[in-house]
Amino acid sequence: MIAAGLWVANSLGMKNTTMNDGYRILEHPSDIGIEAYGQSLKEVFEYAALGLVSIIVDPASIDPVEQRYVTLKGSDPENLLVRWLSEILYFYDGQDFLPSDIVIERLTKTELKAVVMGEPVDERKHSFKMDVKAITYHQLKVEEGKEGCLVRVFLDI
Amino acid sequence: MSQEIKIVIQKIDEYRYLVPRSFREGMRIEGLIYANDELIKAIERDQTLMQVANVATLPGLVGRSLAMPDAHQGYGFAIGGVAAADIQKGVVSAGGVGFDINCGVRLLRSDLSLEQVKPKLDPLLNQMFRDIPCGTGRKGIVGGLSYDELDRVLENGAHWAVRNGYGSDEDLRHIEETGRIPNADANKVSKRAKERGRDQLGTLGSGNHFAEVQYVAEVFDEEAGRVFGLSPQQIVILIHTGSRGLGHQVCTDYLDIMQEAMRRYNITIVDRQLACVPIQSPEGQSYLGAMAAAANFAFANRQMITHWTREAFTRVLGKGELKIVYDVCHNIAKEETHRVEGSSRRVLVHRKGATRAFPKHRPELPSDYADVGQPVLIPGSMGTCSYVLVGTEQAMEETFGSSCHGAGRSKSRHAAKKEISADQLVHQLQQKGIHVRGASKSGLTEENPDAYKDVSLVVEVVHNAGIAKKVAKLLPIGVIKG
Repeated sequence: MIAAGLWVANSLGMKNTTMNDGYRILEHPSDIGIEAYGQSLKEVFEYAALGLVSIIVDPASIDPVEQRYVTLKGSDPENLLVRWLSEILYFYDGQDFLPSDIVIERLTKTELKAVVMGEPVDERKHSFKMDVKAITYHQLKVEEGKEGCLVRVFLDI
Repeated sequence: MSQEIKIVIQKIDEYRYLVPRSFREGMRIEGLIYANDELIKAIERDQTLMQVANVATLPGLVGRSLAMPDAHQGYGFAIGGVAAADIQKGVVSAGGVGFDINCGVRLLRSDLSLEQVKPKLDPLLNQMFRDIPCGTGRKGIVGGLSYDELDRVLENGAHWAVRNGYGSDEDLRHIEETGRIPNADANKVSKRAKERGRDQLGTLGSGNHFAEVQYVAEVFDEEAGRVFGLSPQQIVILIHTGSRGLGHQVCTDYLDIMQEAMRRYNITIVDRQLACVPIQSPEGQSYLGAMAAAANFAFANRQMITHWTREAFTRVLGKGELKIVYDVCHNIAKEETHRVEGSSRRVLVHRKGATRAFPKHRPELPSDYADVGQPVLIPGSMGTCSYVLVGTEQAMEETFGSSCHGAGRSKSRHAAKKEISADQLVHQLQQKGIHVRGASKSGLTEENPDAYKDVSLVVEVVHNAGIAKKVAKLLPIGVIKG
């Protein structure tokens, strides 16, 4: 169940986060979270990943010049979400690659296939905001309803 | 997590609060929180109490599930949490160590006074800021370390750094575990973790990590102060950083492995972040090998940053020797011997945002500290004071030889940022005589000291409860911030 009034502009100085962006940044005394919403889980998983990127770097500074493919398995939707976002974080922190556009081609409760576009890190071009250490299971939520879908995830920063 | 929480903690004395087993279903042991009237209010505001209780549901724990006065809500374990598991029957939890494995602090002492350094403070900070890679996305100077070489870092920690010219053998004596946790197994660290860590060795990172130039403002315990080489007005350097992306990925990997393996061991948990496996299981042993490797990475990291700090000192001041007072881990699981219910037991002590605080005459201490005890280093928030304490016998009796680790956050980063602009904050600190170099403006304001609990209050509780004793108070004059 998604109430439009809930989606307030976020806090991190990200560009124009509004309802249409499909995610908002949550605050936690020591860390930070992402709540993403949309019509399908596919859409919501995409938004969550874009939310993660927007915490690390200004997404407007990334161009889609290269393509990467992701195929993942998880034990359940929650585990799959953590693995998916961990993959996005690994692109940045392990491979120096910043995603700009994300298309999830296939999503089941335990499997995900996606195409991730973006470009290699260029310190002169990309403006970084903060490092993210990891994706946590703290108050993790994956909800699928008739009126829409929602995920919530907290990050250790 | 939706069940009703009944707040029924019991005040035992001025500094101790008991979380009885009735607090939540499934608690196998009691919880104990160190706090005073003021700090307990902060602790009650978030999920710290429930997390202390959740930890108490894990199988094979002994003693109590503990929280230090700087405790605040974490992931699975509260930050500031301590829990010990029986080495044969207990479990190890990757979340009980946390993502930043061997995040820790190191204190260096100089032979220079405040008056000697003050006139050259700005050039010194500029040099340190240039020489110590810090901030989001910054790479280490040892960029592109080969995987074979990285494996040697993981197995040898600070010893690797010293062998490669970053410091001397003399440094190693004054590091917890001499800067190398034995039984580290680089083969248990994933390729992915190594990819994340390979070019981050020798970097400070961002967030609450820092290097501060400080001076000794007050010595409370002259004997311990003398043994640790600390005297009033002396310049010291405090370095706070951890195992960077490598450690974060080790924790991420093993949370997954443990969740999967738990089913085979019939372990059920109340919070997925508490995923755990028997210590003696293959998965448990693999995790401990990987954790030790990540911890060694952090020791090497702090050793390299020490080296660059020394170079900056010599270049700018033309003199001055920096010796290590001590280096402590505050996110770690260690196999130790403790007295439990009157008998000596081997246990695995999880310290998640807590510091080892061993008393005098423990075999783990360097010989020159044998008659006073282990230095316990407590960094305050940016621009406030820090403390040196010493471990006590009381800590051995009550807290598996553990104490607090810092001030503890009380406000979110967003709230911290809203209160003050970076320019205002830098100005405010400058007025207090504290010069700041920060990699990013938002990084600075997120660490606004007002977002933290008062470190002096935290230290008073620890001191008065007797689980560590005050030795010296340090005040900053310069801050390098990621």
